[in-house]
Amino acid sequence: MAMSPPTDPAARPPAGREGPPYARVRGVLPAVCLVSAAAMANEVLLIRLLSLRFWPHFVPLIVSQAMLGFGAAGVALALLRGPLARAPRAALAWTAVAAAPSFDLAFRASQRVPLDPFLLLWEPSAWPAFALFFALLAVPFLLAGAAAGLPLAFSLGPPGRVYGASFLGSAAGAVLSTAALALLPTESLLRLPSALGILAALPLILDPPGPAGRLRPARAAALAAAALLLLAPAPGLVLSPYKDLSVLSRLPGAEVLARRSGTHGDYRALAAAGIHQAPGLSLAFRGRIPPQAVILADGEAAGVVPAAGGRAPDYLAFLPSAMPYRLLAGGASVLQLGLRGTEGVMGAAAGGAASVTVVDPSRELRALVERDLAGFSGGWPAGVRVEIRAEAPRAFLARESRRFDLVELADVSSATFASLGVHAAGESFLLTREGVRAALDRAGARGLLSFTGWLKAPPRESVKMLRTVRAALEGEGLGAAERVIVIRGWGTFAAVARRAPFGEVELGPARRFCEEMGFALVWPPGAAGDPAAGDPAGGRSPQSRATQGDERDLAEAVADALAGSGRRGGRLFDLEPTGDDSPYFHRFLRPGALPEFRRALGRAWVPFVEWGVAFLLLSLPVSLAVAAGALILPAFARREGRTRIRALGYFAALGLAYMLLEITFLKAGMLHLGAAAAAAAAMGGFTCFSGLGSALSHRLASDRALRRACAAAAGLGLLGLLLLQAGAGWVLGLPFAARLGLFLASLAPAAVAMGVPFPAGLSRLGGEPAAVARALAVNGLFSVAGATLASVGALWLGFRLTAAAGAVLYLAAAVLAPREASGA
Amino acid sequence: MNRRLATALIVLAVAGRSPGAGPDPTLPRRLAMVEDQLAREGIADPRVLKAMREVPRHLFVPEEHRARAYEPYPLPIGEGQTISQPYVVGFMTEILRLEPGHKVLEVGTGSGYQAAVASRLARDVYTVEIFESLAGSARERLARLGYANAHVRQGDGYFGWKEEAPFDAVIVTCAGGHLPPPLLDQLKPGGRMVMPVGGPFMTQNLVLVEKDRQGRLSQRNVLPVMFVRLLGH
Repeated sequence: MAMSPPTDPAARPPAGREGPPYARVRGVLPAVCLVSAAAMANEVLLIRLLSLRFWPHFVPLIVSQAMLGFGAAGVALALLRGPLARAPRAALAWTAVAAAPSFDLAFRASQRVPLDPFLLLWEPSAWPAFALFFALLAVPFLLAGAAAGLPLAFSLGPPGRVYGASFLGSAAGAVLSTAALALLPTESLLRLPSALGILAALPLILDPPGPAGRLRPARAAALAAAALLLLAPAPGLVLSPYKDLSVLSRLPGAEVLARRSGTHGDYRALAAAGIHQAPGLSLAFRGRIPPQAVILADGEAAGVVPAAGGRAPDYLAFLPSAMPYRLLAGGASVLQLGLRGTEGVMGAAAGGAASVTVVDPSRELRALVERDLAGFSGGWPAGVRVEIRAEAPRAFLARESRRFDLVELADVSSATFASLGVHAAGESFLLTREGVRAALDRAGARGLLSFTGWLKAPPRESVKMLRTVRAALEGEGLGAAERVIVIRGWGTFAAVARRAPFGEVELGPARRFCEEMGFALVWPPGAAGDPAAGDPAGGRSPQSRATQGDERDLAEAVADALAGSGRRGGRLFDLEPTGDDSPYFHRFLRPGALPEFRRALGRAWVPFVEWGVAFLLLSLPVSLAVAAGALILPAFARREGRTRIRALGYFAALGLAYMLLEITFLKAGMLHLGAAAAAAAAMGGFTCFSGLGSALSHRLASDRALRRACAAAAGLGLLGLLLLQAGAGWVLGLPFAARLGLFLASLAPAAVAMGVPFPAGLSRLGGEPAAVARALAVNGLFSVAGATLASVGALWLGFRLTAAAGAVLYLAAAVLAPREASGA
Repeated sequence: MNRRLATALIVLAVAGRSPGAGPDPTLPRRLAMVEDQLAREGIADPRVLKAMREVPRHLFVPEEHRARAYEPYPLPIGEGQTISQPYVVGFMTEILRLEPGHKVLEVGTGSGYQAAVASRLARDVYTVEIFESLAGSARERLARLGYANAHVRQGDGYFGWKEEAPFDAVIVTCAGGHLPPPLLDQLKPGGRMVMPVGGPFMTQNLVLVEKDRQGRLSQRNVLPVMFVRLLGH
């Protein structure tokens, strides 16, 4: 992706056909390599920065910004070919010098844009701010793309080596950015692309570059000024006011007790007055909740650490999540998927567990909880053997052979701002049929699988999770109705499932637990028995609980999910079980249901919009408008020459197809590698291997070869993804390095083939700058759209169909491919 | 009497009685808000409707969002906090069954709008806001607009307002993870407490706690009428 197709400097006719002579300018190859590395690092690191500033749904936006910048660079090089040709070396030097500080400056400037993504839906004035934000972050990609493209466009070096330097740099950028995530504080991450940019420009302050070159004082001064930015304090991150970190930081006495960052996220522990976390606490609890610290992962609440002096606080036994422990004999072995501060382990200790194994991929989170907060928490409770494994949960489940009495999934829904559907477009491979089945495997026949979450009206997460469990059980020929117990508190639910049917041995304790706590046994029906007769809380416990609309509704929805048709609620919300092919557990929105929401609720339908999805969809027209202004207008403003519609269709198909395949690989790869590594591997891998394909494109000169390359991209892209998915069960059990290698192997053949059609197509435009600019503009525009459309496709069609759509577009490109010597 | 005439009469009746009296160009929008978003959606208590007709919501919204003050959305008020949509304010107020002699505790003052509405129906409203900036601006705003029986304090609302307890009604406007035991303690026998479930922008159902004359608590989830329409699909 990134550096290759849109900036693909194969805008110039391929070497060997036009014939050089190219000038061997010293310093060009390192400059191209380093500036490519800087651009790739910027792209990967922006994911973390914008995840922290806002939410993770900015990933497709960052890819779109990169595509816009690279596309604009290509258009500019084509349109300004004449003026640039008079002094290409100076142009290269100044572009590289300008690129160096742009990574830092563009980000600082973007932080000054008053962007509130949540206002986009109903506040039109928010749109220009968003467009400005989008355009600003595209500027570094424009400059880096131009710097990498100039040597090829003006023959400043041997094309093959320049290509090689570019894709070597991109791969290095991906690797270095991963290292930066592990080594640098989050605020300082953009030091890496800035430093790489400065190194790239350094040899170019001499003209010609090299020992014999003359120092150009203006360039040297500009670069020195850029270098000063490295010494300036890193910009403090301006967070969305709705982020948990943002809100909690403003509480009186707020204090960050510890912080760590690494490849998996930015983690902080924050204590303040006003923090009292006890989701769904029973009214029967009469004690005091101890002071707590909140664990924030990328600025969102992800766990709690009570200051409990190393003892399990009493309140934990009064939460709905304590129910599974009532069903177990003492001394149980517990597996918790996800480290939720110390509360999970404390809860297990309060429930009488003998051992707890916590699986979380983040070593930095483990260190923060175990070491940094040991003084605050008092350490793990005595009497419980605690083991923390730094692994992705699905990989652990695939590799582990032990069985546990209880397997706890993380909360399946949230009551923080995230409850507004912020994560609707986020992947959760644990909450899929395959994930549930893998978890059930670790629970054996009689072990329990438990999950909890917040209730919503109408019920959503609870129902979807139960339907996913049902699908997993029915996949093994087991009925769910007699293998699931569901309870509800006043705002939360808790459920357990297992392979063996439940009997009175389990239902009795569940019933008693509900009676003591004032909770309700929702499933199985009729198992609730008489309401509590006693008043164990001495007048505090609930004596009656009138069944209101939402309680009845939950009971009916649960009954339908576990034993009915499973269709209830499906007209308004997507409650279908999720699978690894479309692992969007938190997406409930059916776009077709929006008119019904409007009919039922008037304009008060906002709570059902799901911001992760809304943002994705709203960002598309804004990004396209910016791209149209930056790419289409300048490219089509010039009258000379003409470009056939067919040729434009070819470049449009390539832009869209490339993004559909790349982004789909990236998302599917999260199962194998985790989010951060998958992003770096997919972006770096596609750039690197497509660069290789582009470099080889001149060898595929014939029309037939070009069509075959398009067909190969289609076939290999789809095949690679299918193999990646089909082999997941086996691959997940392998060490990380092997998984990374297999992931790259699955995408490499397709990526090489995908690198061919773009430069080969450009070479057929006859070197006409206006035609080349139009092709680049159209390609860039559809690349910008493709990044978002790939995410939309993954949400509603799944990875396979989205990749198939990309493959079909490559086949369409094979049909539309411009003929050799036909011109445009 | 047609609707237009009725509206005109209400405009005339309300115009001279709003705090900061004088011609109020937003009044027609406020009346339309009450009619369309509250009365039509099932808020039936005429006292609540009257209070919401009288309280100038736009003055509780930051200047930049004032044009949308009467829209059915929550709006940002600073510190990452929001002012609830009008329907939710009306619903939570109605469900408390406030009487003129009641003493009310509110947790989460925000901009002070809910306190202003409640102050039109009860004797005194004691409202606690944890964010100092919001508490300060709400205190100044409520005083300036003449809501003298609304008292603002900056502090952790989790612990209520012990010195003024007990209260006939407790309204928690910020969603929370559990019902704070100190607030239950400060609720008078026979009192009611309401608290939203879920995060900001998504208030969809509420938990209502009632304390009987013997001090026993009962809880139930109540669902605003407008969302009931979505059930059963």
